Amino acid sequence: MGDEKDMLYRTAGQFKTSYEADQALFPVRQDAILLAVILACAWVIFPLVASEFVFQTLLIPILIYSLAALGLNILTGFAGQLSLGTAAFMGVGAYACYKMITIMPWMNPIVAILLSGVFSAGIGVAFGIPSLRIKGFYLAIATLAAQFFLVWLFEKWAWLYNYNASGAIQVPNLEMFGVYIAGPQASSIVQYFVVLFIVSLLTLVCINLTRGTLGRTWKATRDMDIAAELIGINLMKSKLTAFAVSSYIVGVAGALFVFMWRGAAEPNLFDIPLSFRILFIAIIGGLGSIMGNYLGAILIVGLPVVLNLVPNALGIPIGSATVEHLNIMIVGSLIVFFLIVEPHGLAQLWRLIREKLIIWPFPH
Amino acid sequence: MKHFTKLAIAAVVAGITATSTLAQELYTPNLAYRTGPFAATGIPLMNGQADYLNMLNARDGGIGGVPVNPEECETGYSTEKGVECYEKTKGRAIVTQPWSTGITLQVLPKTNVDEIPILAPGYGFSPMMEGKTFQWAYNAPAGYWDAADMILQYIEGEGSLEGKKIAFLHLDHPFGKEPLPVLEAAAEAKGFELVPIPVGLKEMQNQSAQWLQIRRERPDYVVMWGWGAMNAGAITEAVKTKFPMENFIGVWWAGHDADLKIVGADGKGYKSISWSFPNPDAPVMADIQKHIVDEGKTQSNPEEMSGVFYGRGIVISAILAEGIKVAQDHFGTAEIDAKQLRWGLENIDMTEARISELGLDGMVPPFKTSCNNHTGHSGGWMLEWDGEKFVKASDLLMANVDSYKAIAEAAAAEYAEANAPWPVNEECSE
Repeated sequence: MGDEKDMLYRTAGQFKTSYEADQALFPVRQDAILLAVILACAWVIFPLVASEFVFQTLLIPILIYSLAALGLNILTGFAGQLSLGTAAFMGVGAYACYKMITIMPWMNPIVAILLSGVFSAGIGVAFGIPSLRIKGFYLAIATLAAQFFLVWLFEKWAWLYNYNASGAIQVPNLEMFGVYIAGPQASSIVQYFVVLFIVSLLTLVCINLTRGTLGRTWKATRDMDIAAELIGINLMKSKLTAFAVSSYIVGVAGALFVFMWRGAAEPNLFDIPLSFRILFIAIIGGLGSIMGNYLGAILIVGLPVVLNLVPNALGIPIGSATVEHLNIMIVGSLIVFFLIVEPHGLAQLWRLIREKLIIWPFPH
Repeated sequence: MKHFTKLAIAAVVAGITATSTLAQELYTPNLAYRTGPFAATGIPLMNGQADYLNMLNARDGGIGGVPVNPEECETGYSTEKGVECYEKTKGRAIVTQPWSTGITLQVLPKTNVDEIPILAPGYGFSPMMEGKTFQWAYNAPAGYWDAADMILQYIEGEGSLEGKKIAFLHLDHPFGKEPLPVLEAAAEAKGFELVPIPVGLKEMQNQSAQWLQIRRERPDYVVMWGWGAMNAGAITEAVKTKFPMENFIGVWWAGHDADLKIVGADGKGYKSISWSFPNPDAPVMADIQKHIVDEGKTQSNPEEMSGVFYGRGIVISAILAEGIKVAQDHFGTAEIDAKQLRWGLENIDMTEARISELGLDGMVPPFKTSCNNHTGHSGGWMLEWDGEKFVKASDLLMANVDSYKAIAEAAAAEYAEANAPWPVNEECSE
């Protein structure tokens, strides 16, 4: 195993002959190969082998949660602004998408999903204004206000849910090029591809954003805002763009959450437990990392589903409620374990493993 | 690679579970909730359901000679977990028992595609009574709109509603809002004032603000659509604020013995409409005692078994079992599939004689489902807390379905339109 990995990650002989090559997204060839394998799996292999259960309980939710955590990570991990209002911004995206689709039924659903992020970006910037004056935990409380206010609004403003008697929104059947892509008639594989396309697209945008000027501005703000201001960074611009980009992504994730996965939503779905769940994904995956969001979502969203299947697959006769209790304990202790092993999250754990593999078998 | 191996394992595991074939059985999964914030009310219901079906397995070898597999899938009342359970069980399931309104809302639109009947006795979406539109959904023996109508009838029995003030204390959630259209229409028609007082999910246990409003409004009656921790919260607040308990009436999910035991004799007079009643002398209880309890196969206890919710669990399973039986007889096969069960649930005729034959004497009123009527409208009894237990405080009340038939039809049509293409059952006459 070791030998193999060593061979896999040997960087000797990969010379860079231009600055461009040195600045490339993947300076180490093996990283690019690994990504290609993952993408091939996501785009080709999983759709071929996955059952409806795997689509609905693992692949689609993991991707959507990863995207939401990615949005939060832009704000908290890259720009250093703590937020507890993620779920509410997801809700803005979902309700905006619902209103657009019901007012303009001819609208292309993917366009509607991508546009719904614009609404949450606007709301996000509005609630981001306090960040210009307050920091840290105090800012977290200000975003908490967004959380409470918006969920209250989703409940009370009946226009948002088209005056539905039960106060819930329900996704209608939406067609695109003659194929159902949302609603009860849509097949899981189609929804998976739509989610995968949007998530891949936004991930690519985020990788580039965080590596560019904007990303560096955010990181400088995060690391020390006074120093950043002194070297000429406009803090207002930096913080508000972080809120805008973050809320845009979170809003799109919210629209996907309801339109591509849940199919229906009531206001309290977007309440604080969802915000915390996404925050945990971002923290356990690793703040300030893109890949970490995926690792975190796999641990928090995917693992419990898999653990639930284990006793049944092994033929151990225990009650479903007991499994649920065990599951909560196992996932809880795993979270503690990973944070003790690597306080900076799973992404950092992977980074260390990779570095060790590159220099293996020499210790230095 | 790590995360990716996990996914691969997941795919393999799921593949195995999906393809494993099992011996002859009727797979009737239950999306149970024995964990989470609503566990206290869920456990007695789930125990009653499981004990009845296990008793049938032990006593008669199942239904029509085929054992029933009443496997539970734990949801903790979470919609997300509910969807997971639905996806996990739908391959072999002949019925879906979603239990929460949130899960029902998710599963309902998929019924026409997956073709598995939903059995949601006494809960879910009230317009499901329109069997022509909601071919695959059943909420027999009674729906929330029946409950609202019966409660109003009961109040009317104590004097005209004209000029009265009724506070409607409800969970601010799809479940709590369900009866509003019928109550509003009745307020208009009968000339009483309706004061809706919502209780947010976060305020369930602390309702001081709501009860302050009730004290200020001085309603003649408080009608409650509560669930879980909300009921105990409301009942203790009512006792604390000295609201006359005899004018406090809850829906059937607000009639849990444990909630009333907290206040004991102070709760005397509190009422709850119900389509089920625990009868310890019913033959079915003796059978459960003999085949399940004495064998040590129950998770319940004597105190719980004498309560309303355990008895209701039995009735729910009995409705399912009857649907299976009817389908078996009609199609001449013991191993029925989901489609055949749909027909069975549509043709249940629970007459007084049949109820007695099943040993359920006095536990459920007679009702009959049909192609067009998926609720059955059994009617219900007004139960009253006597300080120690619930007793019947009225004869059987029958809902006046005609008074909201038009609302139900409109709601069903609206649902079908919003979810177009939505096939309706053209075979339904009338």
